[in-house]
Formats: sequence, C-alpha cells, structure tokens
Amino acid sequence: MPASSPLRSLLLLVPACSLLWLISGCSSESAKSAAEKPAAAEASPSSESAAANRSSTETSQANNPSAQQEPENAPQGAAPTLDPKAPFELGNALEKFDPPSLEELDKLKWNDGRIADGMALLRDEKSSQPAPALTAEEALKLRNDSPENNAKILAALGVLQPEGGEGVNFDAKMIRHAGGDLNSTNPLFSSSVTDGEFADLTGLAIMSFDRQLKNFAPKDVVVSWQTSDDGLIDRFVLRDDITWSDGKPFTAYDVEFTFKLIMSDHALLVIPAVRGSGTDQIKAVKAYDDHTVVIFHKEALATNITNINFPILPKHIYENSVKEDPSLKRSAYHTEQEAKPVTAGPYEYVSRKRGEEFVVRRRESYYMHDGKQVRDKPNFAEVRVKTIEDLNTALLALKSGDIQQMELRAEQWADQTNGADFYAKNTKVTAPEWTEFHIEWNQRTADGKSPSPFFGDSRVRWAMTYAMDYDELINTITRGLYQQGQGTFHPTSWMFPKNPPALIKQDLDKAEDLLAEAGWTDSDGDGIRDKEINGQIVPFEFQLMTSQTETGIQTATLMKECLEQIGVIANVKPTEFVVMQDKLIKHEFDASLGGWGAGTDPSMQSNIYGTGAQRNYGQYSNPKVDKLFEQGVRELDPAKRAEIYGQIHLQLWEDQPVTWLFYRNAFFGFNKTLRGYNFGALGPFKYSPGFSSLFVPAATP
Amino acid sequence: MLTTPPEVEIALAESAPSAGFWRESWRRFCRRRLALVALAFVVALMAIAAAAPFIAGTKPIICKYKGHIYFPALGYYNRAWENPIFAKDRFRGRYAGTLAEKDPDSWAIFPLVYQDPYRRVRAGEWPDQPENPFGKEGVPSRYNWFGTNPQGFDVFASMVHGAQTAVSVGFVSMGIAAAIGITLGALAGYFGGWIDVLISRVIEVVMCIPSLVLILALVAMLDKVSNVHLMVIVGCTGWTGIARLTRAEFMKLKQLEFVSAARAMGAGASRVMFIHILRNALAPVLVPITFGIADAILIESGLSFLGFGASPPNPSWGTLLSAGRRSIEETWWLIVFPGAAIFLTVLAYNLIGEGLQEATDPRLRQDAH
Repeated sequence: MPASSPLRSLLLLVPACSLLWLISGCSSESAKSAAEKPAAAEASPSSESAAANRSSTETSQANNPSAQQEPENAPQGAAPTLDPKAPFELGNALEKFDPPSLEELDKLKWNDGRIADGMALLRDEKSSQPAPALTAEEALKLRNDSPENNAKILAALGVLQPEGGEGVNFDAKMIRHAGGDLNSTNPLFSSSVTDGEFADLTGLAIMSFDRQLKNFAPKDVVVSWQTSDDGLIDRFVLRDDITWSDGKPFTAYDVEFTFKLIMSDHALLVIPAVRGSGTDQIKAVKAYDDHTVVIFHKEALATNITNINFPILPKHIYENSVKEDPSLKRSAYHTEQEAKPVTAGPYEYVSRKRGEEFVVRRRESYYMHDGKQVRDKPNFAEVRVKTIEDLNTALLALKSGDIQQMELRAEQWADQTNGADFYAKNTKVTAPEWTEFHIEWNQRTADGKSPSPFFGDSRVRWAMTYAMDYDELINTITRGLYQQGQGTFHPTSWMFPKNPPALIKQDLDKAEDLLAEAGWTDSDGDGIRDKEINGQIVPFEFQLMTSQTETGIQTATLMKECLEQIGVIANVKPTEFVVMQDKLIKHEFDASLGGWGAGTDPSMQSNIYGTGAQRNYGQYSNPKVDKLFEQGVRELDPAKRAEIYGQIHLQLWEDQPVTWLFYRNAFFGFNKTLRGYNFGALGPFKYSPGFSSLFVPAATP
Repeated sequence: MLTTPPEVEIALAESAPSAGFWRESWRRFCRRRLALVALAFVVALMAIAAAAPFIAGTKPIICKYKGHIYFPALGYYNRAWENPIFAKDRFRGRYAGTLAEKDPDSWAIFPLVYQDPYRRVRAGEWPDQPENPFGKEGVPSRYNWFGTNPQGFDVFASMVHGAQTAVSVGFVSMGIAAAIGITLGALAGYFGGWIDVLISRVIEVVMCIPSLVLILALVAMLDKVSNVHLMVIVGCTGWTGIARLTRAEFMKLKQLEFVSAARAMGAGASRVMFIHILRNALAPVLVPITFGIADAILIESGLSFLGFGASPPNPSWGTLLSAGRRSIEETWWLIVFPGAAIFLTVLAYNLIGEGLQEATDPRLRQDAH
C-alpha cells in the first residue's frame, strides 16, 4: 500500500505545523476548513532563521483558504533584498558540507530503522483485537446514537480488505469532499488542506507514520533504513521498481535534488510551507547512487525523523527549467507541468476545475513494474475531490450521494444527521482526535515589556479556569460529544502524564477568592471588580476574541456569562480569521479562543509554550518548561521522553497559560458503499495507510 | 383705513374654529384603519421594549433584602443600577433561591416570565421549572413560549429584550438623520445661492457612501460594538432623503406671503426658518422618516443576521434568525417568531408612513376632488 501517500499529507499537515492552529475553532462551520486548513501549513516567516535558532523548530502556521495568499507577500528567501534577476543557484541556502565517501560511511556503526507496510501494521493491530460483533451490513443498519453503536459501527466498517485484494471492487470510483480549492499541483507550493490531500494521493515519501504517529519507513518505497549510532546520519536504500508517471525511474537523485531545491534562496522562488516544516533542520542530503540516499542532520534529535518529510519532485523535469524560471510557476513549461504534473504516487492527475474539483486516477505503473505486480493495487479506479466550502451544502451533497465522505461539524452530527434522509445512503462515525481547544490568556502587554494588568498573575488565570462552567460547555454547547480538557496533550497520547491533573469543576467561590487575593475587588461599587494600578482604578474588563463560528461564539458567551457572575466583564469579539491571526502574532489581545492539533512530535509544542516562541501568542514563559523541552528533543529513549513531556504537561497545567476547554473529536460521514476506515490521532486519513485502506466491496448492497 | 364690518366679526366669532392642519391630518389618519392598527402595534412594541426587564428576566423587579428595598431588574438597563450588595453577597445573578437563603425575611416580585435573554436558565433556579432545553429540543413549551435557541436561551425573553434594540435603532438613527437632514435641508432651501449649491453637493457625496460598508469597517475596528454605533452610522448616512425633501419644501414655502409677512415684521432668519416655515414643511418630511425607521430596523436585523451586529450575546431579532438559519429544518421557531416580529414591525412602520403621507398631502386626499 502506498504508505507514502499518507506521509505526504502528514508532511503538509503535521510537521508543517506540528500544531495545527485551529483557530477557527471550535469545530464549527468553517471550522472544518479552518480547523484542518491549518494543516495546510503555510509560510513560516522565520524559516531561514530557523537553522540558526534550534529551539524554534519552525512549525508553520495554521492557515485557511483566505490566508493562503499571505505567504506570497512574504518571500522567504534568506535576505529580503534578493535580486530577481540573479542567476538561480541550487541549494544556496545550505551551508557548505563535504559528505564522507560511501566507504567512510560503511565504517560507521549502524542501527536498523523500522521498515513496515502501513496496511500490514494496521492489520496486525486489528488481529489482536476482538472480532467485530456485527458484519458491515448489520452495522450499516444501526443508527449512530450511542457510544456503543459508534463502537460497533467503527469496528464493523473498519475491517480491512482481505489480503490479496479479493472482494474489492477495483472499478469503484470515489468522490471525496474538500473544504477548499486546490491551489497548486506542485507539492512544493502546497499551502492548504486540499493541496495536502492532492499530494497525499499523488505523492511518494520515504518516511511515514502510523495511527499513533510513530514513524516508519514505508516498504513500498524503501528497502532499508539505517541510522548511525551517533544519530546524526540516516541512510536509506530505495527500491529500484519505482517510476514516475512519465515512465522515468524514481531515484535517490530526485530526493537530493528536491532537498536542494527547497533549500535554495531566490527572489522569485516562494515555497510557502515545506521548508519551515522541518526540512531546514537537515544539514545535507546526498545521493550516492540511484538507490542510496543519505541524510545528514545537524544534531542528534528525536525530531530528525519527522524532518525527513519533504515532498519529492522529479529531477529530470525541473533540473534545467528552474534555472530559466526560478519561480517554477511563470514559464510556459512550468505552466504545463502545473497542468500535467509528473508524480510518483499511487494516483495520477487527470483534470481539475477551479473552485469545483480535481480528479486523479489509479496509476498502473505505480503498482506494476515490468509486467509484475510489485505493490498493492490502489483500491479506486478514480478519486474525485469536490470542493464545497459551505458545509451545509456539502451535507446535502452527502445525503444525496453526490459526495461519499465528509467531515461533519459537531452540530451537524448532533442535529442534522439523524434522519432517514441521512441514513438512506450514509453512516457516520466519531473518534477522538489529538486536538485541544482553549482560551489563551495574554500575560504581557503587546510590546512584551510589562506584565498584563489582568493575566500576568497566575491566580487570575486560575480564577478564569475555575469560573468556566464546564458542565454547560460539555453538555450543552458541545452536545456531550467532546471530552473536557485536561491539559495540552491528549489523554490517549503517549505523552500524557501517568498522574494526570484532575478535571476542573466550576467553583465560583474559589474564583472570587483568587481574584480578591490578586487584588481585584469591587472598590467603587459598580458591580465590576477593579484594582488600583499606578494610581489608576482599572476595571476588570477585557476583550475575549473568538472565531466567527457558532461553537466559538457560544463558548465565549458562556465564559462571559460565568465571569459576569463574579464581577468580571468579558467583551466577546468574533473576529475574522486573518485579522485574528494577525492580532495573535502581534500579541494585541487580552484573551483568545483557539485550538491546536497534535503534531507528529510533542517537541513541536515548544513552539507554543517556549519562551519567545513563534506561536507563543500569550507570551508565557517558564524557564523550567524551556529546559524540559530542550531535554525532550535530545532524549532518544521513548520511555524517558514520555516522562519529560508528562512533566511539561503538568507544569503547564500548574501555570495555566491557557484554560483548557475540551478535546475535539473527529466526526465523519461515509457513504454506505465504503469500508475499511480507521481513525488515527489526526483523523481517518492522516496516517499510513489512512485513505489507502478505504475500499468498496465487490458486491455492494 | 379698512375695518371689518361688526356683523361679520360676530359671525366669525360664533362659528366653530376650523380644525388646524395637524388635527385635520389626524382625523384623516384615523380614517385609515390599517394605519391606525399599525400605530397601535408600534406603540405596544414601544411599551414592551421599555418594560422588557419587567416582562421577561431573572432579576426581581423589586425585592426587600436585609431591610432595604432594591430594584435589581434595573440592572438589565444598566449594569451599575443593580445594587452592588448582590455582587458582594455572591448572588451571581441567581436571585430566586439565593434571596431566601441569605435572608429568610426577604421578599421579591419577579418579572412575568422567569427567563433570561443572556443565558440559559438551569434546573433548580425557579421552583418546578426545568432547565431550558437546547438544540433542536428547544421547541415552544409552557416554560419557553417561543422555544429556545441552540444554546438554550429563551426566545421569548430574547425577543422582548430585542424589541429594545429594534425600537431604539429605528428612533435614534432616524432622530439623528432627521436632525441633520432637516437642518441642512432648511439652510439650503431657505438661503439658496452658494449655500444651496454647497449643501446639495454634500448631500450627493453622502448619498454615495455605502452605509453597510461603513458599518462593516467600524465593526472591524471597534473592540466592543454596541447598537449605538450602528445607530450613529445609519443616522449619519441616512439623512439625505430628508434633507432633499426639506430643501424642496423650504424653497416652495419661502415664496409664500406668510413668510414675507414674518420677515416684514422683523423676524430673523432662524426664527422664520424654524418657527414659521418648518412647522408647515414638516408633514412631508415625516413620511421618509417613518420609512427610514423601518429601513433602520431591517439594517440592524440584517447585520445581526450576518454576525456583524452588536457584540454577542445581543438579543436581537436578527441574531435569532441567524441561529435558526443553520438548522432551518429542525428549529422552525427560530425563524417564525423573530421573522414575524421583523416583518410586522417593518410593515407597521410602512403602513404608518403611507397613512401619514395620505393624511398630510392634500393632493392625495380622496375628498379633495
């Protein structure tokens, strides 16, 4: 199975941002688009400086379709004064490095890495679980109205196709849903979730990860993977039976070329996300022959593996043309490539209609080589991805069978998908996702020079946490579909501490006491708490910024209601995505509702809670946490790492830089013809095998 | 010198004084039943808006607590009017049970309906009243006459308090518009010349400003958007029609004898304009003002519907509508009641406007022919 493809998505998705910024928040409407979009990953402003600044493992930032243009305005070349007419120089952003010879490398001590087939891994995992209680046909008759039924449906429909591909209808065509349009068919320019999905279907990569975000090298691409004993070098031997869609062989030189291309500075070449998503942490990539590619790292870090996640372009297509047109977009030749990209993945590009859809079809040369089948045959003859931005319209399309899969909003799950009109053609499933939502408290003034009058004090932040009515939040606003927040890592993740913090219950007395302790009392009798700061009476009235989504506004309104009871005024300000992002980055806010999705590696959270880090909107700073993050990324033993991140989790909880509200689930509607979907930490598609495991049975009901 | 013959003078004195213009207009207005009903509707709406906290709310209208009389419901008008003693004693907005608990001798009179436009009523707040349902369970019931919104806020309470928004938006914005429009129109019409040219150009410029875009820009800039901001913008951009009509009326009236007479008696320009001419020019101007009120209500509802209204939670009819839009198949009550309220109010203002027009414009009188 094309384990690679999921990887790709990951590449866009996760590393990019390790933490998808789910500002759009709480799951609602555009939420999907924004929530997942962030995955999209876009320019990371400091990508070039990232190399210098190890601590900020640049995660690129969440994005939504409207913001996709942004990167264009901020070319990421090393110097802002690059000359557009300067000749293109491949890899000029790299430091000079003389790779050792192959013989020298052979002398090193090597440890074998994990080579696996994503599908086989999932099959193994499933074989250790009890067989599903129901057959798929029986499960499809169920209504998903209770956790038990959800578990039954998930188990029955998660059954994988029989080995060897029997019982799969290979002629089936699949229609997927996307919340935004495809921007570019060139994976280097990927900047949205839809771009990621395209790359996922058509691309190939040399690293992949499973449902728990554990890394492995996919068997479909890699013959062997070894890591040097000092952790500084990874050596891959690629298979010799991979070809590009134009028939040329896929080689180690393609990998080296693409890496250098990504690490090239030129005024015209604007690569929005890929470089900042970890690729710039790699020191060098060297192809020794057609199949041997070696990756040199700067330091021995736990995140080295996840950095090997860049997309791979065909060297023979771009090698010469990039010199003529470094933008990779403008020349007639590159326009042609954009319209008919050469790819190496399981599916190949067929057509697209702007704002409507793109279509890919199964590529025979992917799974057949010299007349022999060398890889699993992709399950669909054709995959059509339709762009429908309005999720109500998308739901209607799902009900009528015009699309066969979509991610649902919580309200849609609760209210609009219970009738016969939905169950006639579809079923729905939910599963936890490693995504948390919170209210972020800005601890300092916008210039960062002095502490915020409100939230600089951890007692005030704790008062806010105690003021929130979690019962109401979980049961009414999120319809009991989400789980209450317990800190930054998801309870099912390996980083979650063994002795987790207890769930908070609303305690207004405690909140009032804490506020009084911090000096906030109602001294002038107007019903609003105040405090004398520098001789001025400052009322406790602040702005609570939220996305314009229903859940976001409702949550903020609930917080307002709760705070009003203890004499604190929160003004809810629904804010447009781009504006919100801008204010967050400039720290021009008091409090803000938002969310983060899990990255492939917990070390990426240093970008959120590290002192002065790029996504540290609330300007939280704790040297202890900084130190733990530093330790975590250097520690290679998984058990010890888990412990370190558990400590970080607990320390963050103690400091409450944010008030954790809830973990969001993934909600999906699937057409009844589909089988084989299983959920990982990032939903049903963002892992290996992910989408590759979906199939239509030979005889569908 | 000419004098009136005594007998004629006596006859004049004995006949009933002829009805004045306004009384005549009112008489004609009363003949139009629809307009009258509409006026009654608007008056009732204003009464409801003014008394909203006494109709629906969770704060007592009047209560005795620890030996003093308080009026916590006034807190709905202005937060500071709710006595701080309740905050100090940690009432947290829950008066029903807390009063008796903290002071057994206390008593209170609560609003007609124990529901709140800003929050969901939870279980146990009011004896025998269950918690508000939410989502599609919020169908109209004994406790929630018009159902609840997706978050469980009572729709009836929201609509009653939302009437404040509707009424005030209409009156305040058109009040502003009328003040600007009549003043500028009067100046232009009375003085003519370069003043007229200047003001007419200003009118044309202002007509080109799209008020919706202006409002959106303002909403983006302000931290806390309130209805006052909307009113000011609608008022400051909606006066052009009024100004033009006033100007035309003034141009016509300033030629008449009574104006010359007033001037001849030494009245200054402002006296002539605002004492003598304006009262005669007012009738036609009232008509666009009435229609303008209806427009302003529609604009506010539309903005709230689109999510650009006052900061949430704002109990506005448009907000309720937009909550209903997302699940229109299930929550009909979120569309029907606020929709009907907006429709009826706008219709009422239009009917009044039409009635006024016909009652005050002699050319439209059926009996004039």
